Amino acid sequence: MIISKKIDRKKLLETIKDYNSFFLVGCSECASLCGTGGEPELEELKKELEAAGKKVTGTFRAKTGCQVLGTKVELKPFKDELADTQVVIVMSCGAGTQAMVEAFPDKPVYPSNDSLFLGNMTRFQMFDERCSLCGECILEQTGGICPVTNCPKGLLNGPCGGTSNGNCEVSPDIRCAWVRIYDRLEKINRLDDMKKVIKAKDWSKSQSPQVLSARPKKEGKKTK
Amino acid sequence: MVTAEVGPPKGTDIKEMLHHIEVLKGKIDAANVTDNQSAVMRISSLAVCQIVKENGLEPILQMTCRDRNRIGLQADLLGASVLGIESVLCMTGDHVSAGDHKAAKPVYDIESVQLLQVVDGMNNGKDMSGNDLQGSTNFFQGAVVTPEANPLQPQLIKFGKKVEAGARFFQTQAIYDIDKFKTFMEHARQYSTKVLAGIVVLKSAGMAKFLNNFVPGITVPDELIEELKAAGKEKALETGLNIAARHVKQLHDEKICDGVHIMAIGMEDKVPTIMERAGLL
Repeated sequence: MIISKKIDRKKLLETIKDYNSFFLVGCSECASLCGTGGEPELEELKKELEAAGKKVTGTFRAKTGCQVLGTKVELKPFKDELADTQVVIVMSCGAGTQAMVEAFPDKPVYPSNDSLFLGNMTRFQMFDERCSLCGECILEQTGGICPVTNCPKGLLNGPCGGTSNGNCEVSPDIRCAWVRIYDRLEKINRLDDMKKVIKAKDWSKSQSPQVLSARPKKEGKKTK
Repeated sequence: MVTAEVGPPKGTDIKEMLHHIEVLKGKIDAANVTDNQSAVMRISSLAVCQIVKENGLEPILQMTCRDRNRIGLQADLLGASVLGIESVLCMTGDHVSAGDHKAAKPVYDIESVQLLQVVDGMNNGKDMSGNDLQGSTNFFQGAVVTPEANPLQPQLIKFGKKVEAGARFFQTQAIYDIDKFKTFMEHARQYSTKVLAGIVVLKSAGMAKFLNNFVPGITVPDELIEELKAAGKEKALETGLNIAARHVKQLHDEKICDGVHIMAIGMEDKVPTIMERAGLL
């Protein structure tokens, strides 16, 4: 899921200081799990804005905020609240915010969160990053642990000289990605995988902005 | 074979660096020129290599993958080649978080093993995309290894990959336990590559403890710390120089490896002293 974090409230209030009325959009997916865009957070921001003397015309939690068409349809019952608002505040990720930019071409749309990374949830509201969407998976060569993401240097061929008792030099609290890969390959009896040189990555595979049509080719639009 | 280091300064005043070059000239075989060492911004390694060469000392161009993508790295390799720089040391490079520009975007488009492949390709007339070069390079390329990495096995696998990728020589992280290093060399001798043992001069017992506590991959044995302590503050540096000389001598006399790489860290003028005491000058 996309991991998000609340923007410093002072910064948000500074951004919106010229406006008086707001409509808040949360998201039932990632942002709810992150505690940044679920019902409690919508209610919390509503109260904070009202305490700051602002008007909140309505709140709404999208089913999947990055799903542009579906969210537009879901917003139909909120016609009046939306007509009354000057600004839409989106409490999900950058994709959700930009979905609303598309839905509201004539209103300012502001984010209440910073979008951080594609994360795994390890415990309630605890996340770590395991995949950086590089566009060219090498997990089959690295025992299923991604060094592009888990090594701060993205090393593809083994640890640097900074491993300290198996921990990372750059982030001493985490295990060295390549020590983890080594241990795992040993366990699954595939240590020879580590002896093969992994060639330089083709970073053009992750060049933004990306577009993809997963539709069957006949009816698909232009694919990348 | 003895190599040492020339550290480019931060700023345009190169008087002290020129002095170090002068001291080392004629004594050592080649000097590594560090590349924004510890991710601290300084004069570029390539520019200083040229100065080292002009001043009569053989330079080894250190190249890290932290600050340049594959286009920048290859361009600088071609540049080094036409300037007559013959040796290059391929490294990934310390992370920007270790340096003085912590907000910088680290590049790491490629890493040390792949950079070795790139140099090998350019020596064979091809760039990284397989395009023909109009005139190939002729580098003697090397890499680094940490013989006391913990754990060691993943490091040894990487060592093998570096050899396979074309590393013809290695300069090691600092070593202080010659017996342990002999074990590493037994492994290294499976490959036809040269190994220069890393020697870092201990200036005090405090420095030795600092290395043990804060520098991964370096272990100073207790008996050396005791030796430095026993020497007292005033004679600690002398003792450190003697330890370095003793290690250099043993490595040389017992032909444990192919040479030494003395990292004097600001005390380049002491390198000849170490060599004299080791009986090499």
